[in-house]
Amino acid sequence: MKQESAVLILALVMAGMSTAQMPTGGAPSGGSAVPNSFDASGSAAKPQSNDPNRQGETPNPQVLGIEMPLMDPSTDTVKYNGGIFDVGNNAAVRTRFEKYLQQVPDNSDESKRYRALIKDMLKQTQRAGRDKNYAVGGDVLIKVGRGLYKASEYPGDGNQSGALASAIVSALDVQRSSLARERDNEKLEKEMNTLIKQADEWQNHNVTRKSALSAASNGGGDGKKSAGRVDSGGDINALRIAQYIKTAAKKESTQAANLATNESAKAVSKLNYQAMLVALLFSRRFDHVIIGSRVYRHIFRDGDTTLNLDKDSKAHEVFSGGLGLPPTVNSIDSIASNARRDVDQSIQSVYGMLARNKLGEATQQLIAAVAIGEYMQSVATFPADARQRIAQYWTLRKRALTALNARDYATVEEVAAKMKELDVDFDDSMLLSYTTGKKRQSDLAIRNASKALRNGDEENFNKYITEAGVIWPRNPNLEKGTEMLEKFDAGDPVKEEFVRLYDGKEFRRIAREREHYKIVAMDPELAKKYEEVISLVMRMDGMLEQIKAVAEQDATLGPCMAYEKLVEWQKADENFANDTEMTLVLKDFESKAHDFVQALRDGDSCEKRGEYGSALSCYYRAQCKYMQSTLAREGIRRVTDIIVKATY
Amino acid sequence: MARRARKGSKKKGKQNLMPVFIGIGAIVVLALILGSGVLKKGSAARGLEPTPNFRIAEYRQDGSRFASSGNVYVFDGRVENIETVGNARLVSISIPDNPDERLPLLVPGDVKLRVNLTRGDRFIFETTCRTGKMGDGKQVKGVLIVKNVETK
Repeated sequence: MKQESAVLILALVMAGMSTAQMPTGGAPSGGSAVPNSFDASGSAAKPQSNDPNRQGETPNPQVLGIEMPLMDPSTDTVKYNGGIFDVGNNAAVRTRFEKYLQQVPDNSDESKRYRALIKDMLKQTQRAGRDKNYAVGGDVLIKVGRGLYKASEYPGDGNQSGALASAIVSALDVQRSSLARERDNEKLEKEMNTLIKQADEWQNHNVTRKSALSAASNGGGDGKKSAGRVDSGGDINALRIAQYIKTAAKKESTQAANLATNESAKAVSKLNYQAMLVALLFSRRFDHVIIGSRVYRHIFRDGDTTLNLDKDSKAHEVFSGGLGLPPTVNSIDSIASNARRDVDQSIQSVYGMLARNKLGEATQQLIAAVAIGEYMQSVATFPADARQRIAQYWTLRKRALTALNARDYATVEEVAAKMKELDVDFDDSMLLSYTTGKKRQSDLAIRNASKALRNGDEENFNKYITEAGVIWPRNPNLEKGTEMLEKFDAGDPVKEEFVRLYDGKEFRRIAREREHYKIVAMDPELAKKYEEVISLVMRMDGMLEQIKAVAEQDATLGPCMAYEKLVEWQKADENFANDTEMTLVLKDFESKAHDFVQALRDGDSCEKRGEYGSALSCYYRAQCKYMQSTLAREGIRRVTDIIVKATY
Repeated sequence: MARRARKGSKKKGKQNLMPVFIGIGAIVVLALILGSGVLKKGSAARGLEPTPNFRIAEYRQDGSRFASSGNVYVFDGRVENIETVGNARLVSISIPDNPDERLPLLVPGDVKLRVNLTRGDRFIFETTCRTGKMGDGKQVKGVLIVKNVETK
C-alpha cells in the first residue's frame, strides 16, 4: 500500500505540479459552495484547500532537497507547496491529458528504434544482475553508456537518457580519479618506505661510527682530532636523516589528503547519482530508473546502495516500504517496476472497458495511466480511435465541469444526458440532485423577489433577485424578474388601466391579462382589488365548470337545471350577472332548454300584462318541463295568490 | 161533561189524523225517490261536452281573449293539483292528449260543487272565463272559474 502511495506520489510530480499546477478553489465568492469538479464517473469532488483544519499540518518530507507531494488516496487530492490539488481536476493534468488525447500514437520508426535500444539496455543490465559471470563493467557499461547517448537523440526522450549517461560517466570519472589517487597513495607508500629505510640506514651508520670514535678516544692522544671528525660526520647524517623524515611526512600527508578526497568524491558522486535516479523516477522515466539502478552497484562497488535519507523522514518510510529497513537504490528500482506494471495493467483495463462502452471508467483509468506512465510504450502507442472515443467523452466531461463552475445548471443537465448516452453506467444522480437543488433554490429566490415586488418592497426584490442570479446566473426566470422590474418602473399607466377596467367591471379582461396587471399589487389597495378580481374569476370559472359537468349528466333536465342555477346566481350577485363568460354559458343552456325557458318567460310576460290566468298556465307548463324548477314554483305561488284574492 | 167530551174528542182526533200522516209520509218518500231519479236523469240528460277547439297554447298567450262573448268552456281533465287558499281552491288539470299542459281553474269559495274533487281523478268542468279585480283596482285577466263539475 505504501508502495502504491509512493507511485501515486510520482503521479503528482509527473503532473508537473511543480511548474503549472493551480490549486483547486474553494467556494466561489458568490456564496454557496459549488463543487468545482467531479470525476470522470460523474461524482462531484469535495471542495478543497483553504480548510482551516489543514493549517498547522506538518510540512511535506523532502527527498534530496526536493519537496515530495503527498497524496491522500481517499480523496484523490495531493498536498504540495501549501496547496491542495485534485488529481482528476487539475489544470496541468487536464492539459497534459488533452494533449495526449490529441496526439497521434507514436509508432514511428524512430520511436521503435528508441524503444528497441531501451529494451536492449534493460536486457543487458538484467542479465548482468542474474549472471555472475556477466558482470556489468567494462564493455557492458560502455555499451549502456553508448546506448543511452544514442537514445538521447530521439526527441521523445527529452534527453533523459543523455542525463543518465552523463551521470554514469561522471560517477565513473570519479571512480577513475579515486583509483588514480589510490595508485598515487600506493606509490607514495613505497617512497615513504624507501625514505624511512634510508633514514634508518644512516641512523645505523651514525651509531656505528659513534661507537668506533668513542673507542678510539678512550685509547690515545689523537683523541681530540678524531672526536672532532666524528662530531662533524654525525651532524651531516643527522641533516640527511631529517630531510628523509620530512619528505616521508610530506608524502604521508599527501596520501591522507588523497584518501580524504576519495571518500568525499565518492560520497558526492553517490549523492548526485541517487538524486538523478529520484529525478528520473519523478519524471516517470521508469526504464531509465531501472537501468540506472541496475548499473548503480557496478559503478559504486563498495556494495552500499543505501539512499541518503533522514531516518525520521516520511520519505525514508516511503522508500523503505514501511518495513523499517534502510531505503536503498533497490527501493527505487522496485517502485519503478511496479509503476510500469500498474500502467500496463491500466491500459489493458482501458481496452476492456472501451469494449464494454464504460467510457467513464475507461477515461478515469486512462488519466491514471497517462499521469503515471505517459512515456511508456503501452501509453504512447494507445490507438488513435480509442483516444478519440475517450476524447469525446472527456470533452463532454470538461463542458460539464465548466458549466458547473459557471453554475449553468441547464447545460450541466444537457451534457450529463449526452454523457449518459455515451456511457450507460454514467452515474449522474449526484450531479442532477445538485443541479436540481440549485435551480429550485434560485426559483424560490425569484418567487420571493416577485412577492416582495408585489408588496412594493423594492429593497427585498433587489436582494432576492440578486440571490437568484448568484445561485443560477442563467436562470430563464430571471428574465421575468427583469420584466417585472420594468413594469414596476412603468407601473402608473398599468395602474390607471387596471382601475378603469375594475370600475368598468371588466374582471374577465383583468384575469386574462393577470400577468400584465400583477404589477399593480405593489399598491396595497389595488393589490386587494387585484386579488379580489382574480379570486372572483377563479370562483366563477370553478362554478361554471361544475355546472357544466352536472348538466352533462342529463341531456333533458340538465340544461333546465343549469339555466335556472345560472339565473339564480346572476340574480344573487351582480358580478355574476356582469360576467360575460357566465352569460355566454347561460345563453348556451338557454338554447338547450328552450321550451322550459320560453314557458318561464311567457309566464313573466303575462304577469306583467295582468294575464294571470295565462301566466299561471305558463308556469305550470314550465313545471311540467322541469319538475324541480324553483322559478316555476315561485311563479305559481305568486300568481295563485293574486287569482284567489281577486273578485270576479 | 164538556171536559170528558174534550178528552174524548181528542182521542178521536188522533185516530182520524193517522192516515193523513201516513199518506204524507208516503208522499214524501215517493217524492224523494222520484226526486233522486229525476236528478240523475236530469244530469245525464244535460250531457256536458268538452268545448272543441279550445287551444291551451292560445290561452297561455292571451287568456283575456277567452273572456269575451260565449265564455263558457267545458273541459274534460284530470286533477293534477289542488291548491286551497281560504275558501277558494285553485285546481290544475291536465287535458287528455296534451300531458305537457296544465290548465288552472279557480273554484271560488261560494261555488258549491256536488262532487268531491280528488287528485288523479277525471272530471268534466264547466267554466267561464272572467276578468277579476283586486282591491287596488288591478285587473286579473283571463281566469277560468268553475261553475259546475261532473264526474266523468
